[in-house]
Amino acid sequence: MNDDADHPGGIDLGRVWTGIAAEVWRRDPGPVERLAVRLLRSPGLARALLTTPSLLLPWLMSTVVIFSVGAVISLGGGEPLVWVLAPGIAAVAIAYAYGPGFDPAWELASSMPVSDRMVLLVRAVTVFAVNAAIGLAVSGLSYLLTAPATPGTGLGHAAGRDTAAMTAAITFGWLIPMAAVCLLTLAAAVITRSAGVGALTGVLAWSASVLASRLSTGAFSAAVTDSRTYLPYLAVAACAMAAIGYSTRPQRRTSQ
Amino acid sequence: MNIELTSVSRSFGKNRAVDGVSLEAGTGVLGLLGPNGAGKTSLLRMLATVLPPSSGQIRLLGGDPGRTADRRDIRRRLGYLPQNLGYYPAFTVVEFIEYFALLKEVPSARVPRAVAAAVERVDLGAKAKSRLRTLSGGMLRRVGIAQAIVNDPDLLLFDEPTAGLDPEQRVAFRALLRSLGETSTLVVSTHLVEDVGAACSEVALMDNGHIVFRGTPDDLVSRGEGHQVGDAPLERGYSAVLQAARNGSVAA
Repeated sequence: MNDDADHPGGIDLGRVWTGIAAEVWRRDPGPVERLAVRLLRSPGLARALLTTPSLLLPWLMSTVVIFSVGAVISLGGGEPLVWVLAPGIAAVAIAYAYGPGFDPAWELASSMPVSDRMVLLVRAVTVFAVNAAIGLAVSGLSYLLTAPATPGTGLGHAAGRDTAAMTAAITFGWLIPMAAVCLLTLAAAVITRSAGVGALTGVLAWSASVLASRLSTGAFSAAVTDSRTYLPYLAVAACAMAAIGYSTRPQRRTSQ
Repeated sequence: MNIELTSVSRSFGKNRAVDGVSLEAGTGVLGLLGPNGAGKTSLLRMLATVLPPSSGQIRLLGGDPGRTADRRDIRRRLGYLPQNLGYYPAFTVVEFIEYFALLKEVPSARVPRAVAAAVERVDLGAKAKSRLRTLSGGMLRRVGIAQAIVNDPDLLLFDEPTAGLDPEQRVAFRALLRSLGETSTLVVSTHLVEDVGAACSEVALMDNGHIVFRGTPDDLVSRGEGHQVGDAPLERGYSAVLQAARNGSVAA
């Protein structure tokens, strides 16, 4: 391990070499990272966002594959199952973005001035946004292809305001339960400090919700299409947010 | 004083890992010795602000890590090498160190030079662009040391830093420790007494959650005079102090 630098002729060769190495090894951030730095006003947070496990290529690929499978199943069954699958997928992704069980450098990251709370929240929002974009596209496609061929709703008539109304319904019906399940998952992961427990909680809660809807209405997709469920979802989301805020509050004074 | 602990305890369920530890440390290298399970890692994690204490007071670099504003400032001036360094296998050495430099809020313009200096300091220049998954255990340990020093910290915490290093690297690392200790406070947790003898200006010996000895390496050697267990003078001192502590006569 080098500790001393030679100074022949008054030139600090160690310092010169460090300058050269810095230029050779410099890694310029890509356009996405530059955008994130601008939005978040923190290079550390931007880098943390782009190195989260949930944004790795395998996760994105698996998300697309699962959504696509959901769309194909929807074509056969006549129900927009992508809506039903989407919240669970997002829940798992968020849970696995946090915790000592999955993020290998979690302990080190916990000692950094860039708050792990902020990293967590930024990751959650990003996972949610990416899933929303992918899921919305596939849901729209799925809905178009499975909607009954009645005037104003089917593929052949999906134009103008009908399409806009349908898209709004999908967005509203899909995003609210997704937000609730994501936040519940996040809360469980934060409280237990375990990605696995968070993921399990989110998936179980969503499965219970889908099954309950099936029992009460006869359709699995009622969990995302029945407007009466919006209020309970919002309540769950609010409680989960409060739990996350409480669990990640600044440490109190160390004395007792 | 960069470290001021007053009656600090930490429990995990019914197990009291750290029990009423009071400690002060300024500039220099403090070796934290002790057998497995003595509480060294828990104490170091509390100093790293990763783990809050169950009771007691901690002040680091003049601030209270329990207060958000202080904690952020402390963490900017802190370097920490955990016992188990988690890493992202697909990262290169430079990417990994740069990542933590950014998380430590080193100004962006200074990051490339800070990373290069840290890499050179641990003699990993030849591996700078290598992926972490291709490195040996000793090299990964040096990567961990590099990320700890990349922000030129005032308080450095190393948990078993020489684990996995070969003898030549250990000698070089001890020289690095001495150099860093000239301007910062270093706490080095280890169970290798030879590391302490070679690099530390002070020693604290922990057993069963308590600090049972605090002094210079020479003081520890003198405690071992006449003691039969141990091959080297420091080992005999270590063994004598532990035995005395376990027999009830704590010799702090």
